[in-house]
Amino acid sequence: MPPILKVYAIALSVPLARVTDMASSSSPEQTRSLAWVVRAVKDWVERCGKVWVEAQVIELNRRSGPTQFLTLRDVDEEISVTATCHRRVLDAAGPVESGMTVTALLRPTVWSRTGRLSFECSEIRPSGEGQLLAQLERRRRLLEAEGLFDSGLHRPLPLLPKGIGLITGAHSDAERDVIRNATLRWPAVRFVVRNTLVQGAHAVEQILPALADLDADPSVDVIVIARGGGSLEDLLPFSDEALIRAVHAARTPVVSAIGHEADNPILDLVADLRASTPTDAGKRIVPDVAEELAGLHEATSRIRQSVTARITTEQSWLDSMRSRPVMVDPTATLDIASERLEATLARLRLATDRALETESREIDHQLRSVRAMSPKATLDRGYAVLADAGGASVGSVEATRDGARLDVYLSDGTLGVTVDSVRPGGPSTPVATPQKGSTTS
Amino acid sequence: MTDQNQETAQDQVAGEPEIGYEQARDELVEVVRRLESGGTSLAETMTLWERGEKLAAICQTWLDGARRRIEDARAASENINDNTDRQA
Repeated sequence: MPPILKVYAIALSVPLARVTDMASSSSPEQTRSLAWVVRAVKDWVERCGKVWVEAQVIELNRRSGPTQFLTLRDVDEEISVTATCHRRVLDAAGPVESGMTVTALLRPTVWSRTGRLSFECSEIRPSGEGQLLAQLERRRRLLEAEGLFDSGLHRPLPLLPKGIGLITGAHSDAERDVIRNATLRWPAVRFVVRNTLVQGAHAVEQILPALADLDADPSVDVIVIARGGGSLEDLLPFSDEALIRAVHAARTPVVSAIGHEADNPILDLVADLRASTPTDAGKRIVPDVAEELAGLHEATSRIRQSVTARITTEQSWLDSMRSRPVMVDPTATLDIASERLEATLARLRLATDRALETESREIDHQLRSVRAMSPKATLDRGYAVLADAGGASVGSVEATRDGARLDVYLSDGTLGVTVDSVRPGGPSTPVATPQKGSTTS
Repeated sequence: MTDQNQETAQDQVAGEPEIGYEQARDELVEVVRRLESGGTSLAETMTLWERGEKLAAICQTWLDGARRRIEDARAASENINDNTDRQA
């Protein structure tokens, strides 16, 4: 008989006797209702109480409600049962997953409506590896509550480290993979290697001083802690609380490069960068020189294109401004002013000409008037003007004497004459109007 | 832009307090707008035009300087690349 059923057989030995009595007194004439039978069985089964069993979790469906369902299988035999538990039970147990062996506190029960046997689970404890995982989970939660895994605390890795500290096993694949992959990408990379144990009870004792030594080295910009995978137990040093706190306290960025299948060591959570394997770490701690050069050329080219395009745009704009008519030919404005000036000047000249003409006519008129009244007009009519030697006009016979020298002014010249005789009184006979050119005697 | 024009531009800039490209450009836009809108006296027109020429020269000096700097940077980077290739 399977062990789990032996437990129930012992627990149910007293009620089973009563079931036997019930069966012996039963006949087609003396029947019981099905509900009565199910209730009786339920009553008998539940008297069994709680019992600790060791079993393997083969199916676990986490639901949104409080009740969770899981299927447990006997460790040795092909017997499996359905169990229910409250979500709090699973949460308290730590990381319970399919395939894990657990110790569970079960209470058998019968579903009244279906008559199916089921088990209520009130406590689960991981056993073996499961127990180890539960311990690690408790540690993880404790450290997380302290804020050691806050993403804001993660320091950025330098783009190109001066020196890389490497903590790993001596002559290990992990050491070779980190160095080879980093060197392929950036040939000038420099490593400061500290070989330590990477599993077992004494590993942390060696890793801690190596970490402190590299953290204090000013030539080291980044520290890689590497190991090439292993079992859960092998990887325990990388979940050690002292190591986790030391990595958290380190000033130099730390890369976790622990190869593992499923169970992340706690180091992954506190490290500034988590690499999936040592090979991955080698690729992520240094840039690829070819990629960087290509990126640099592309960036330079794009910058130049951008600046050149901007200058070309601005030059086109400036050329368009300079080609505006007002800028190309400022004389256009001057031409307008010049035309206005010429028009005004023409008007000025016209007005001046008119004024001169008017004045000229007036002067001619005045000149004619003056000329009409001048002695010359009289002379032109044949008269003469007499003047003595002193130039005084002789207008009377009394103004001269015999023998006096006189000048006779005619229209076309002057005569010098001597007075022969002086005869006062008007002429005895009228003098005829002299003709031009005649002389007065 | 000829060397002579460039000298002129630099002469014009010389007496100018530090004036940025954008400032010169914006002022040039305003000068051209005022010239095109008309309604200014002859003296104002000539003053505006002279200012416009000066601002255009300032802008041109900036652009020429920018081009020269790009060419210098290119030449410098080509020298570095040549040296790197030789060392390799």
